[in-house]
Amino acid sequence: MSDRARHPPRGLIGAAPAPPDDFVAAGPELRREGGFPVGWLIAPATLWLLIFLVLPLLSIVVFSLWNTREAAEELGFTLQYYGEYFIAEGFFDSTSRNFLSTSIFIKTLGSTLYFTLVVMALCLLVGYPIAYFLAMQVGSFKWQMALFLLCMVPFWTSYLIRAVAWLPMLGRRGLLNKMLVGLGIVDKPVGVLLYSEFGYTTALVQLYVVLCIGPIFFSLAKIDNAILEAARDMGATPFQIFREIIVPLSLPGVAIGMIFIFVMLMGEFATAVVVYGGKTSTTGTVILNYYAIANYPFAAVNALVLMLAMMIGVVIILKLVDIRKEL
Amino acid sequence: MARWTPERRRKAAIKGGFGVYYAIFLVFVYGPMIAMFILSFQGRRGGTSFPMRGVSLYWWEKLIQPSTVGDLQGAMLRSLILALIVMVITALFSTMLAMAFRKRFWGSGVLFYTVMAGLMVPGILLSLGLATMLQTIGIPPAWWSSALGVHVVWTLPFGFLVMMAVFNRFDSRLEEAARDMGADEWTVFKEVTFPLILPGIVAAGLFGFTLSYDEFARTTLLAGEYNTLPLDINASMTQRVRPTLFALGTASTIFSLLMIGLFLVIYTILYRRSR
Amino acid sequence: MSKRGAKTERGGKGGLSRRQFVGTGAGAVAAGALAGGFPAIVQAADPVRSIGLGVSVINEIQGQAAKDLGFPVRGQALGYGAMFGKMLNQNEQYEIAEGYFNDMDVFQPAKVWQPIDTKRIKEWDKVTNLCKTGKLTPDSREGQGDAPFRHLWLDENGDRANGPSRYVSMVPGWHNADSIGYNPEETGRKIESWAELFSEDFKGRVALLNIPQIGTMDAALAVEGMGLFTFKDKGNMTRPEIDFLIDFLITKKKEGHFRAFWETFGQSVNLMVNGEVALESMWSPAVTAIKAEGVPCVYAFPKEGMRGWHGGLAISAKASGKTLDRCYDYINWWLSGWAGAFVARQGYYMSVPENVKKHLEPAEWDFWYDGKPAATELPDPFGTIIVEKGEIRDGGSYWDRFKNIAVWNSLMDENDYLVKRWTEFLSA
Repeated sequence: MSDRARHPPRGLIGAAPAPPDDFVAAGPELRREGGFPVGWLIAPATLWLLIFLVLPLLSIVVFSLWNTREAAEELGFTLQYYGEYFIAEGFFDSTSRNFLSTSIFIKTLGSTLYFTLVVMALCLLVGYPIAYFLAMQVGSFKWQMALFLLCMVPFWTSYLIRAVAWLPMLGRRGLLNKMLVGLGIVDKPVGVLLYSEFGYTTALVQLYVVLCIGPIFFSLAKIDNAILEAARDMGATPFQIFREIIVPLSLPGVAIGMIFIFVMLMGEFATAVVVYGGKTSTTGTVILNYYAIANYPFAAVNALVLMLAMMIGVVIILKLVDIRKEL
Repeated sequence: MARWTPERRRKAAIKGGFGVYYAIFLVFVYGPMIAMFILSFQGRRGGTSFPMRGVSLYWWEKLIQPSTVGDLQGAMLRSLILALIVMVITALFSTMLAMAFRKRFWGSGVLFYTVMAGLMVPGILLSLGLATMLQTIGIPPAWWSSALGVHVVWTLPFGFLVMMAVFNRFDSRLEEAARDMGADEWTVFKEVTFPLILPGIVAAGLFGFTLSYDEFARTTLLAGEYNTLPLDINASMTQRVRPTLFALGTASTIFSLLMIGLFLVIYTILYRRSR
Repeated sequence: MSKRGAKTERGGKGGLSRRQFVGTGAGAVAAGALAGGFPAIVQAADPVRSIGLGVSVINEIQGQAAKDLGFPVRGQALGYGAMFGKMLNQNEQYEIAEGYFNDMDVFQPAKVWQPIDTKRIKEWDKVTNLCKTGKLTPDSREGQGDAPFRHLWLDENGDRANGPSRYVSMVPGWHNADSIGYNPEETGRKIESWAELFSEDFKGRVALLNIPQIGTMDAALAVEGMGLFTFKDKGNMTRPEIDFLIDFLITKKKEGHFRAFWETFGQSVNLMVNGEVALESMWSPAVTAIKAEGVPCVYAFPKEGMRGWHGGLAISAKASGKTLDRCYDYINWWLSGWAGAFVARQGYYMSVPENVKKHLEPAEWDFWYDGKPAATELPDPFGTIIVEKGEIRDGGSYWDRFKNIAVWNSLMDENDYLVKRWTEFLSA
């Protein structure tokens, strides 16, 4: 604390108290040899993940291959659940209505992905300026932290409660409808606010936007004022500074925030039920439905395909932005 | 005082614009909470929607009285303790991992994606897989053991990525300088690295706390005989949803706001003293 | 009441050995690592641990049981999914499962519960014929689907017995019949048929239950009521029947007929209270909850008959010795009347009505069981007045209600197919 007090930092994290003059010119430097031994640093987490993630994951894989339809006493493996997932019944039968049509599970995955991408884009649009405001416009560390935490507060209320809380807001007798009627914008309460794509998307953005504000805020806060000053002195316009310096330097934060939102939304199942009135299915609800009827193999297949899709998404995001790069 | 130059005016305007946007954003994020806040003072015979049927503290009293289904206070306590443990472990593990990842090491790719897999594996099946294993070995699941295990699996990637962002473009020359002056690794960490990454560690821990406190799917088969708060709320949904839930939501919001206020006060005092 | 479960082939002995196998593979590797990590806490075998929904697992009930029986009884209330998963996969985590007969196609073959010896159930003779023969009164209809009497009888090994025997799968407990709830001010007319669910008049003001196994049965009753189709067995539909029904539902959904689909009790209450829907498929205590919030709501008594469900008390296969004795004590206590009277005040019926009668005020008995107007104001189990003087319970007396069950909550043989088509319906 005392250290920071003597040199109130402009940036938040990892900023050197007094940047050397050759800061901008320094360029990438090769890694030092120091630091704790890697083995000790990763051992506890690795062991933990092995027990609580890798082994259960393996049993999910085994579940997905299990042949439950043969004689009960025999152990057997089958790929039939994967077949059912990808190929609709009657796919090869030209008389069937499912002839060459995509299976419902792939369609569901597709629509889940579609909603995810839309909400991700909205979260970025809504969240980035907030992160920018906190990092660039708020002067002191104290207020940065306080205003950031203020955004986080709704997040500390149970998810189930927050989703339910949308109902008295958007419903036919909700506050928003009351306002609209009161202002004379509509003459009677409208139903499109709730149990609609609009209500669903709005709720998702509200529920998840904070996840991307944090990482973007952190990466923006680390941008050193010296760089910006230098650019300004060289006559760069604010827009140029934003495009050439701020955006590239905040990309790791954007990438991480997008990963958070991406995986959360792909696995989403509760909001659709509460706010969209269950009028759509997501891959998450499909998994739950099959889990609920104890069809564990098919639930496992759905889960694994979902994981694969998420993994591909995350790899793509990480290929676009290298978050491991240090100075 | 500096003169009101066009440059300054422009800056102030931008700042003001962002301020207004931030305020609108807060309204958006807190919007549903407002309805919730009002409705928590619903009259005794009122429900979870408008209109209000009287005003009372009835549902707030219910918060501290024993509940009929489940055990609200006990569940809340368990969830809080669990979330605090998860917070500490998440902060610790993600810091250690992120520090390890500052160097390239053998298997780092595999480890990275294993951590990431914790984000992706659907909770309900992770819960089933681990529950099956535990049953076979004969270890009973409990909220403080098996649920803790999968909660950390879930929160670690969040904390880890936050710490990755912290070490991204991290200026290691200070550490070098300390080493050159003969400091050992512990001293370097304690005196140089730690103060710089502390806000990140706090953020990682906060992620851990928040996500664990709210986790439902992963806990279903792994909580053992006592429910955590989300399980308890879920069980209560098989009955009428009462404004008690809204009182609970409002209470936790107020509590959080008080904590932030406390943070501001403490920080200001420390700041003054050290100056 | 919600119900989910899977058909025999899936849960069979294979189901259990399969799980054990998976567990053994992964478990063996983990055993060593875990041994040091977990303090192996051996559970005290003494308390009876009971799990179930908030319908029957209520602190007052288990608390009273503990007081009357002199040993600890601990209830754990869970949501449906969590309860089902725990009952099936972790029978060492509970002694008593407060389960539902329609899930028996999963639980019976999995052998996670032990057959219950009716010789040890003191008042077995007083349990009504609803579960024993399927006929509460001699002129009752049995109802299609998983009627309790089709899942009740077992042999001593826990395999199914044909007809009455000494052993049962669960001791019958609380039950009810579901239909449509509606707001008479919004519908403007009395609802007397399931067909009204799809009436053009209520377009955009209808909600349906979003649990595939039950939602389809409500829809099937409606489609039959409209005279569009006749199902051979609504409790066990064939693929063409499912196809017809889902195609019809998809057309309706695209027309914008449905306001929402609900999954939990609370959601169904909110939909009506918030004025979102005029009518919806509903569980009967929801009507009481809606009226308690000052919104008019009537429970329809459709001419096609209602959809029944039945809960009961099962004993984990792991319970033995002294604990097992206490399980029987607990079940006997449930039948003795106090608990039955408690759930009666929430609108549920109990399998030994004559014992319940002893624990209810005459006015309460007349209202809840006999379908007569309330002679006085009546409270819910927690003392809040929920019934005004003069009110009549919709649907008539207990016996009227349960002699006309059209279909029971069921698990169909084509359950997997049903869930798949239901997914298509929701996505449409």
